[in-house]
Amino acid sequence: MKITQHATESTLTLSLDGELDASSSVLLDTELSKPEILRNQKVLIDCRQLNYISSAGLGVFISHLQSFQDAGVKLVFFNMQEKVHNVFEILGLDSLMTIVPSEAEAEAI
Amino acid sequence: MSFLRKLHPFLFPVSLLTWFGLLACTLLYAHPQLLPGTSPQPNWPMLVMQAVFTAAVFIHERSMPERLRGLDFVGLLRRLVLGPGLLATVCMGLHLLQQLIATTLPETRSVLFSVVYTANVGLFVVLLARTNYAWRSLVLFRASARLRQQWVWFEVLLGITLLIHLFARTPTWGFNTAIFGALAAFGAYLSSHQKWVAYLSRRQKIEAVLLQIAIILAMAAFTAYFLQTQHDPQLIAPPTQHTFLVLNAFFAGFYALMGLLITLFNLPTAGVFEQKREEILSLQRLTQLIQRGQTTEEVYRMFFDSAIQTVEADAAWLDIAVDGEPHLYHHMQPERAQAIRNLLADYNLSHIEYLNNDLFNSAGFRGLNLPFGSLIVMPLHSSKNQYGSIYMLKEHPQGFDRENLSILQTFASQTVLSIENLQLVQASMHTQRVQDELKIASAVQDSLIPKNLPIDNWFEISSHALAATEVGGDFYDFLHLPGRRLAVLIGDVSGKGVTAAFHVAQMKGIFHALMQENPLARNEREKFPVPSKFMAQANNALARCLEKAAFITASLYIIDYEHGGFVFARAGHCHTLYYHSIKEEVSYFRTAGLGLGIIRNDTYEKHIKNQFYDYNPSDVMVIYTDGIVEARNGAQEEYGEERLQQMLERTYYLDAEQIKEQILTDLTEFSKGQPMHDDQTLLVIKFKASQPEAGL
Repeated sequence: MKITQHATESTLTLSLDGELDASSSVLLDTELSKPEILRNQKVLIDCRQLNYISSAGLGVFISHLQSFQDAGVKLVFFNMQEKVHNVFEILGLDSLMTIVPSEAEAEAI
Repeated sequence: MSFLRKLHPFLFPVSLLTWFGLLACTLLYAHPQLLPGTSPQPNWPMLVMQAVFTAAVFIHERSMPERLRGLDFVGLLRRLVLGPGLLATVCMGLHLLQQLIATTLPETRSVLFSVVYTANVGLFVVLLARTNYAWRSLVLFRASARLRQQWVWFEVLLGITLLIHLFARTPTWGFNTAIFGALAAFGAYLSSHQKWVAYLSRRQKIEAVLLQIAIILAMAAFTAYFLQTQHDPQLIAPPTQHTFLVLNAFFAGFYALMGLLITLFNLPTAGVFEQKREEILSLQRLTQLIQRGQTTEEVYRMFFDSAIQTVEADAAWLDIAVDGEPHLYHHMQPERAQAIRNLLADYNLSHIEYLNNDLFNSAGFRGLNLPFGSLIVMPLHSSKNQYGSIYMLKEHPQGFDRENLSILQTFASQTVLSIENLQLVQASMHTQRVQDELKIASAVQDSLIPKNLPIDNWFEISSHALAATEVGGDFYDFLHLPGRRLAVLIGDVSGKGVTAAFHVAQMKGIFHALMQENPLARNEREKFPVPSKFMAQANNALARCLEKAAFITASLYIIDYEHGGFVFARAGHCHTLYYHSIKEEVSYFRTAGLGLGIIRNDTYEKHIKNQFYDYNPSDVMVIYTDGIVEARNGAQEEYGEERLQQMLERTYYLDAEQIKEQILTDLTEFSKGQPMHDDQTLLVIKFKASQPEAGL
């Protein structure tokens, strides 16, 4: 699992590369737990290279969902593979989180 | 050797008999008048008797059990002194008795003389045998195979000298001297093997010196007696087996003398050896402590005591860096120790090896006004951890040397090793306990899996559950409700292990609690919660105890087989796979529904829906957890919903049990050789044509 960051003034983009399983989700949790992350208006998650997400990985997003909402930070997923999208959908997360097809659409939100 | 062993029981009687034979021969030879009518005796019977007697005594001694017990050299010498000392006393006593009787009864003089002489020869032979075989134990102590062989040669050659007098009655002087000289040299060479002396402590060395003097004195007593009697005109016996006896006497005496000298010269260094020994023993004690599974406190105490004893420190203390462990002090006030600690900290010398042999001339220490001249500090640390430091002080300057430092280093590293070993042992015990507890958790969880599937003639149910670890996060359960209804629950707790197992148990509790008949219900429909209501209530119950990142997916089905329909709600769980017999079609019920614990407030209810469906006979419902569809093959592809759907398309007409088996066989084939990542649960329910109940 590799996480690369790209920050602009009000937007932070995290690109996930690889499999988000029990061990790598700890890395992601550390990133999302940083207090300065809540200063962004938007946090975009680029899922182009995300091949797999385990329940632990989903748990990381779920656990930060509330604090993002409270701080008014928008969490947007884009470029999600069909397989990963299916996992989000089955769990019902697609109704709670914003998942858009492309980066352009993500930035437009 | 086995021949000698067989001989052993006979040796003592033989030696006794031959001694009497020797006595008889000597008397007959010297006093033919005692048995009138016999011609004067020849020499050889006497020599043969003597030879057999000597051989019997020596072989008897040889086959006695090993005299040296462990490293008890002093004990060996003590027992040895007791024997010859007694023999020498007897010898002297007999001699004096003979002198006494001879003066009162002059006519029996010469006969008595012969008897006492023969007795003393016998005693001397016994003494030599005893002593030399005791020496053998010492010579062969930790000896090489080569030396053992040399000893056997020495014995054989000595044995041959016993025969010389029998066959070559009058060996030439030169031959005799050559043999004697060669064997004496051999004996002297063997006498140089005195390894045992090194194993004696100072006290033992002094005792050994005294004991060896006693042995030499006993030998001297005999020698004096024989030297005196040799020139006695009353001695009318042929020469004894003197080559053998003299050689043996020489070896016995020489070995004792050499041992005595070596021990004597070793006395001044005994203290050094003892100290080295003490160091080794202290190290051994430290090592043994680990094996006995002692506490770290005992290891520190042992290290502290050993270090003080070995270095002979006048005062010392041990700082232990681990919290809760007390510091150890020896002739040291804690305040003074604190002052030294502070001083070393000021100089930035804490927790490093430090040796100062002249505290009186060191500026900082002079200020403390200590009664000590030397200080040594040795830290206890491994590559990763700091365990503390030992501080040792001596009153005199120049009290410690490099040697002390290296011993302390050895002690310190051994102590650290002991402590870390102890920690490892404790850690492994802890792991063992956790594993045992996991086994219990696994057994408890196993008991939560329904063992008896509901049986009715309206449907067939077949189930399969396999956990990836000892305790899993998958669960399913059944409950019969009144009015010919059946509740089926399936679910998956995120994560694995004990926490997941705990939530599984919790889910089951919630299921059984919520599926109770509500006595306040106004109509039949409200008696039991509909699945969406159940999920909302379950979410509410879980909200408070589920950890932040955890969630649970579940599906609840309530099958009403009286009316041929079912209602279900899906809380983020895998879609239900269904075979519709009317349409002859396999498809998934793709309904919306959010997992439990994701939203922890009242808005959750908006995210969960009920789905009603009227089933037909021969319809098949396949319920499973993500462990099935996410199972991977060698190419890291997932089994997937599509493949599962295809399997049901091929098998829908079979029994529920057979359908399950076919799916599992396909799944096993697919993921062959791959590790199991997640728990797998699979339920197959097949509805059957309603049959009129008996009696209706």
